[in-house]
Amino acid sequence: MANELQFALYAIKKNIQSSAELRTSFLMNVIGMFVNNTAFILLWVFFVKSVGVIGGWTAADIIGLQGYTSLCYGVVFSTCFGIRKIPDYISSGVFDRFMLSPKNLLMRTATSAFSVSSLGDIIFGVVCLCIYAVLIHAGLIQVALMLAIACIASIIFLSAILIINSLSFFFSDSSAVTGSLFELFLTPSLFHGGAFQGAMRFIFTFIIPSLLVGAIPVEIVRDASFEKFLLVGVLAVIWFLFSIYIFNRSVRHYESSNFMTFGS
Amino acid sequence: MDQPAITVSNLTKKFSFTAKEESSGWIKNLFSPVTKEIVAVDGVSFSVEHGERIAFIGPNGAGKSTTIKMLTGILFPTSGTVSILGLDPTKDRKKLAYQIGTVFGQRSQLLPNLPLTDSLEFFGVMYDLPEKIIQKRIVELVDLFDLGSFISQPVRKLSLGQRMRAEVAASLIHKPKIILLDEPTIGLDVVAKKALRDLLIRINKEENTTIFLTSHDVGDIESLCDRTIVINHGSVIKDLPTQDLARSFVYEKFIDLVAEHKFSTFPKLPAGIRYATTNANKITVVVDINKISVQAALIKLLTLFEVEDIDVYNADLETVIRHIYERNSDRA
Repeated sequence: MANELQFALYAIKKNIQSSAELRTSFLMNVIGMFVNNTAFILLWVFFVKSVGVIGGWTAADIIGLQGYTSLCYGVVFSTCFGIRKIPDYISSGVFDRFMLSPKNLLMRTATSAFSVSSLGDIIFGVVCLCIYAVLIHAGLIQVALMLAIACIASIIFLSAILIINSLSFFFSDSSAVTGSLFELFLTPSLFHGGAFQGAMRFIFTFIIPSLLVGAIPVEIVRDASFEKFLLVGVLAVIWFLFSIYIFNRSVRHYESSNFMTFGS
Repeated sequence: MDQPAITVSNLTKKFSFTAKEESSGWIKNLFSPVTKEIVAVDGVSFSVEHGERIAFIGPNGAGKSTTIKMLTGILFPTSGTVSILGLDPTKDRKKLAYQIGTVFGQRSQLLPNLPLTDSLEFFGVMYDLPEKIIQKRIVELVDLFDLGSFISQPVRKLSLGQRMRAEVAASLIHKPKIILLDEPTIGLDVVAKKALRDLLIRINKEENTTIFLTSHDVGDIESLCDRTIVINHGSVIKDLPTQDLARSFVYEKFIDLVAEHKFSTFPKLPAGIRYATTNANKITVVVDINKISVQAALIKLLTLFEVEDIDVYNADLETVIRHIYERNSDRA
């Protein structure tokens, strides 16, 4: 396993080097994503300022929410962007390359690509969470919770996109479907946490884990809730194991195609 | 080394797909489509010894790539067994990957934006080679494949010929016992093709690497492979030494007739003889030796034409292969 992780880190390093070769595009992507996220958060902050607190959610919480979601997005897509590309890999037959690798198939696939703009998300996420920590006057325990829940939320984010993209093994031309499912997962995770109550909250926590990557981490930090932290930790383990199971089962349905491609 | 390098037994692969039924409406086709099945590989069996150079040929859609993908563990067979160096690709995919090299002519495995040396290093790390061994092996491969002049160029800027040499070099970084190549010379010019073939022969001789290749290029088969397996409609139809391929299938002889003066007329030929090409200086006829012997054909031709010279020869390998494909196609 150590060997697999070592190679995964090496592959990620090579991906970053490869993207950095195209310097202008690299910088524009990172800066562009940062600006895009900032515009989005400004919109939400103005919204909260106008309508006031909803469901106990303040403007600071919105900053925390955006911070968590961006950080999860950035961490997962800067290390495991290959998962997002599974539909393309399958339709073009590029997935063959990973099947021929002597490494763990999932790790090799996940670390095969890198999203430059995700670096912008990471920077944005870290900045937001720092601002959030200052705004809520976070103590040491809350800061520790913030860091721990960021890791757990990233694992849930990773699990969700792995399950969504594993569906590509079952039908052809799946990019549109997996893209829509990804939006179904991501969009609620960026929404105001106070908007989800009752059945909606249940659905977007236990069936579609959108709230587990943004809203609930904010609530855990804000309320210093160890019960919720434990629950999210258990859910993360379940989602993670389930996603690996789904991927391994799905791979058996792979039918290699013969499109002409150039490496990526 | 007792067991063969590759053993394939009754290998079958079926693909299912949904098909539109002309007699049904589009709503029925959308919600309740008919599922059809095609047999891409149908009970294929063969074995390959260590150090052999095998051409696995067949027309488009014959099942070559599907077979190679099952040999490498990319596809799971519907039935049948594959053993590569004693390993089952469906169960020991990772172990097998350390023992084999693969090159897909239509796909690059290299890192496009980084210098070629980074790609070679990447493959070395992937195969768990120590840093010193990787550097030593890169030097060997650069020398063997003459990569020195473009080793520091980004892969996306290499010519197709350079890239194919680099692809093969990368696939050999871990000294695989078997290399499987799927149309490695596709798109290459004649010089690049020859260079690649020479290199493959060299690694076969120097490192006893078993070579298993699919190709539509007769040159690859003729100059590189000592045994040819012909597949069509998913089944092996011939498996024989390449040098016997032409001889085994010759039921036609070609005769060139060079005009003593100029040929002015082209009379109807006897049964079993037909014109291949005609011009005033030279006629080429094809003799079906199942219908008429070469001797009888020559006698008849000499009564019809005044010739200065005669040349009798077998069909070239390309023609023979075309006949094999066509003949099998007629039977299907």
